[in-house]
Amino acid sequence: MFLIPFTHHRPVSLDEVFETLAKHGDDAAVYAGGTELLLALKARVLRYEHLIDLKRVKELSGIRIEGEELVIGALATHHQIANNDLVQAHVPAYAALSEEIANIRVRAAGTLAGNLAFAEPHSDPPSLLSAMDATLILVSSGGKRGVPMREFILSDFTTAREENELIAEIRIPVTAAGEGFAYRKFGHLERPAVGASAGCVMRGGKPSYRLWFGAIGDRPLHAKEIEDAIAGVPAASLPEALPKVARDFASGISTASDLHGSADYKQHLASVLIQRALAAACEAAQSRGAANA
Amino acid sequence: MSSRAPVTPSDYIDKVTGRTEYITDVEVPGMVHGKILRSPHPHAVIKSIDASAALEMPGVIAVLTGADVSALNNHWGLYLKDRPVIAIDRVRYVGEPVAMVAADDERIAEEALEAISVDYEPIPFVTDAAEAIEASAPLVHETHDTVKDFYFKGEAKPVAGTNIFQHYNYEHGDVEKAFAQADRCFEAKYEFPMVFHYAMEPHCVIASFDSGGLTVWSCGQSPTAVQKVLSRVFGMPLARIRIISPNVGGGFGGKASVKIDPLVAALAWKTHRPVRVCLSISESMLTARRLSASIRVKTGVRNDGAILAKSVSVLMNGGAYADTGPAVAVKAANRAIGPYRIPNLKLESTAAYTNTVPGAAFRSIGGPQAVWASESQMDEIAEALGLDPLEFRNRNLLRRGEHVRPDLRPIDVEMGEAMDIATREMAQLRASDSGSETHRGTALGISDPGIMAVSSVLLRLKIDGSVAVVSNSVEIGQGVREVLRRLAAEQLKQPVDAVEVLTPDTAIAPFDWGTGASRSSLMMGLAIADAAADIRRQIAEIAAIVLEVDPQSVELCEGGIAIGNRKKTFSELLHAYFGIDSGELVSIGRVSPHSNAGKLTQAPLFWETAAGQCAVAVDEDTGEISVRHYVSVADVGRVVNRAAAEGQDEGATIMGLGHTLSEELVYQDGQPVNATMIDYHVPTIDEVPENFVTVLIESGTGPGPGGMRGMGEGAILPVAPAVANALAEGYGIRIRKLPLTPERVWRAIRERKER
Ligand SMILES: Cc1cc2nc3c(=O)[nH]c(=O)nc-3n(C[C@H](O)[C@H](O)[C@H](O)COP(=O)(O)OP(=O)(O)OC[C@H]3O[C@@H](n4cnc5c(N)ncnc54)[C@H](O)[C@@H]3O)c2cc1C
Repeated sequence: MFLIPFTHHRPVSLDEVFETLAKHGDDAAVYAGGTELLLALKARVLRYEHLIDLKRVKELSGIRIEGEELVIGALATHHQIANNDLVQAHVPAYAALSEEIANIRVRAAGTLAGNLAFAEPHSDPPSLLSAMDATLILVSSGGKRGVPMREFILSDFTTAREENELIAEIRIPVTAAGEGFAYRKFGHLERPAVGASAGCVMRGGKPSYRLWFGAIGDRPLHAKEIEDAIAGVPAASLPEALPKVARDFASGISTASDLHGSADYKQHLASVLIQRALAAACEAAQSRGAANA
Repeated sequence: MSSRAPVTPSDYIDKVTGRTEYITDVEVPGMVHGKILRSPHPHAVIKSIDASAALEMPGVIAVLTGADVSALNNHWGLYLKDRPVIAIDRVRYVGEPVAMVAADDERIAEEALEAISVDYEPIPFVTDAAEAIEASAPLVHETHDTVKDFYFKGEAKPVAGTNIFQHYNYEHGDVEKAFAQADRCFEAKYEFPMVFHYAMEPHCVIASFDSGGLTVWSCGQSPTAVQKVLSRVFGMPLARIRIISPNVGGGFGGKASVKIDPLVAALAWKTHRPVRVCLSISESMLTARRLSASIRVKTGVRNDGAILAKSVSVLMNGGAYADTGPAVAVKAANRAIGPYRIPNLKLESTAAYTNTVPGAAFRSIGGPQAVWASESQMDEIAEALGLDPLEFRNRNLLRRGEHVRPDLRPIDVEMGEAMDIATREMAQLRASDSGSETHRGTALGISDPGIMAVSSVLLRLKIDGSVAVVSNSVEIGQGVREVLRRLAAEQLKQPVDAVEVLTPDTAIAPFDWGTGASRSSLMMGLAIADAAADIRRQIAEIAAIVLEVDPQSVELCEGGIAIGNRKKTFSELLHAYFGIDSGELVSIGRVSPHSNAGKLTQAPLFWETAAGQCAVAVDEDTGEISVRHYVSVADVGRVVNRAAAEGQDEGATIMGLGHTLSEELVYQDGQPVNATMIDYHVPTIDEVPENFVTVLIESGTGPGPGGMRGMGEGAILPVAPAVANALAEGYGIRIRKLPLTPERVWRAIRERKER
């Protein structure tokens, strides 16, 4: 269907964005790539009289390193992130994830911030950003605050962001020497049925692990029981230690049967993917350790 | 001449640079835009429709509903007159057109749809074919109004008081006796899903009434069928109805026979304005789809592998309107026979109405459904008998000249040769593959194209030696215009560049049955040969008069004629003849069942065949299949346009990967739940095998010029069973339900491990 006519605003500064938002309240929405919002408007599941295009707001653009964090501006597209030297060097697992999101048309226009703000459960970024312990910086006319990725998504299409707040940037801790992350997903439709993210962090020769699932539920799911069960287990022993706990945990994940697959199949996929992701993360941690040694 | 034909067909550059004109690019003066309000209910009585609010909206011109069409002959159909121009009193599937708005632009029309209120009373519905044929099932249609020889030969055989709109039986030999004598019998049921054609261009039609009659720019694959149906609906003579067919962006049967043309024309009739309607892809998904099928096959064999008897029972889900389903049901039975010697054969096929999107012709109608069942079972039998599947096939293969069925034309290709080539090519591919282990699967498909041998063409030889081909063959992406161009050039001995193929227009192009069933290159090729013979005759007569030579000694040559060493340009010859240096010669070429000394009467005109072999690897933990290599082999007689012919072969195969791996229109509670391109996955370049080899055998044994036969539909036949057979070979699983989704594969592997 067609878009219902709307007034288009093209602010060049955050102040101007907030002004417009304040003026039109519930009748206005911001957008960047429009890959989610315009589809929802065309399908008439959302209606706004005012659309605010963020693409000219300089404060929201750019990808840079600040201290021990990679900072991704809200306007960075998946394609830019995937092909950015800083991302590839400092958060390689996230660059790899970006390259596999959707298709090139969506990657070229769609932004990471748009993906996170929309909070469609069948998405790739949230689980890995949770495993990496990324932080979202939200800004409003009243100031700014940081919200951990792990707490940002509350349920499907619902986030901790207030109506008057924007995502300004996403801050991802740089993957240090001896750390490795990996993401594995599977699905036979357009978007992932299940995603699994793993981190392997070596501190003083002792490994610890971070494990998160995506897409299978309505928000990223922390696999804390698996993490606890394998804490300290050396990577080489994971093939013995991991499968049973992964299976047990996965079979308890609450998920519904839908077009992406039956619940038990998705639970099985979760178990398979987390094992694959963790193996890849451990390998990445080892090679990163070696490279930086 | 074909040897000098360019390698890149002339239409490719225009297509990839966006210059090719499709209907959506056509602007007719005064044109307004139509949008369709569709039923949200699978089955309901329409109690009332209130369009007053819509009609008051600025820019809205008219609203068409069932009440308007009472003045028309308002039900139409090519086998059964079961379809209303627009829903009258009742809707029979989710997506059925209920009301239509004409407005100044598409946006206003769409807004106005929301202002129309329809009061429905839902009634019991049925979406499953097996349930639809039970005695207690709600009837989708109370009566069956069949038409005979209307556009298809023969008529459908519905069963009164049931949802069955077609029933077909065939038998030779004594199947039951042979089963009793067989060493072993194998029986199983195979399921094939509803799948969507996914032509890249959704349906798009412009209709315009004026003092000259009705003109329609149609995306239909059969312009003369559209013309005929419109003539009946509006009670107008055929000669006052003109169908123009610009380039069409794919059809695959989803635009065959007649689809939205009567609906769009009715809105034009009501508004007295030209009306354009362009569907979205989701609307096209609610317009036509392949008939899903459940096919039971029983085969009796001797322990040495000889097939003694086979019985096939097909049940098809035909949707809310019969459309071309009656033909599909017959072909689904025939195409399950396979290229094998079967002394005792029994075929049975039933197609039933359900409250779902109308089923329709789709690339090799009924073929992929049938071959899925029969070629899956061939491997099951081979395995049970401890025979190599190729060897088991070989023992039963028909040789060229043997009969598939005594009443049909004997098979005219060597399937053994095609299978051997596929095996050889695949061995090479696998030998050069250093990746993980793959497993091979094979399947053979044969089909009896339902070609009506009724075609004609005009050739117009201009005085400067250029040639116009005037035909109703629709350029639908298959490259038919380039084929006709090359064939006309060859027949008239002129350079390809001298020939133009015009846009089909029923006002000037003569009758042709339609673009489908792998028929156009062949039928038009025969018609062109006939027309070219007439041009040669005219030229020779003129030369005899003007040059006083023996007409027998006149030959065509590039740019003119040759009599021995003496040459004349067309202009020199015709100038002398007409007295002015202007004019043209026109000839008509005709094909009918009586052409070529009656050789075109026996069905099928030729056998369309394919041997497919794949090599697959499965991720056993996810169930994901990767088809790494694929070889497709077919005897097409002769290749006229190689790039397009290989494209057809590759395209048909990749399309087959859709129903093999992921495609399936899913119904829940009467609703199609995945009828969008996000939830319904069509193969992309990611699913295309790493290595794909097409081998087109040029045996020169087809009925067309130079021994060509038709092609374009064969390669889709073996894909699904070849992949399923590879799964059985490599992973010990036999899945009898398509698509082979990762979940189904994973479950099958898990069950095998638990056994
Ligand atoms: C066909 C298709 C396939 C896809 N497949 C995948 C997939 O496989 N995996 C996956 O992870 N994703 C997938 N996606 C989702 C894709 O990642 C998102 O569409 C994209 O990232 C959204 O970014 P955008 O800039 O276009 O957002 P927009 O559409 O511009 O905005 C989306 C929402 O975010 C809000 N918003 C945008 N920017 C901000 C901001 N700075 N602050 C606050 N709110 C903001 C908007 O108001 C809107 O509600 C797919 C999408 C499509 C269309």
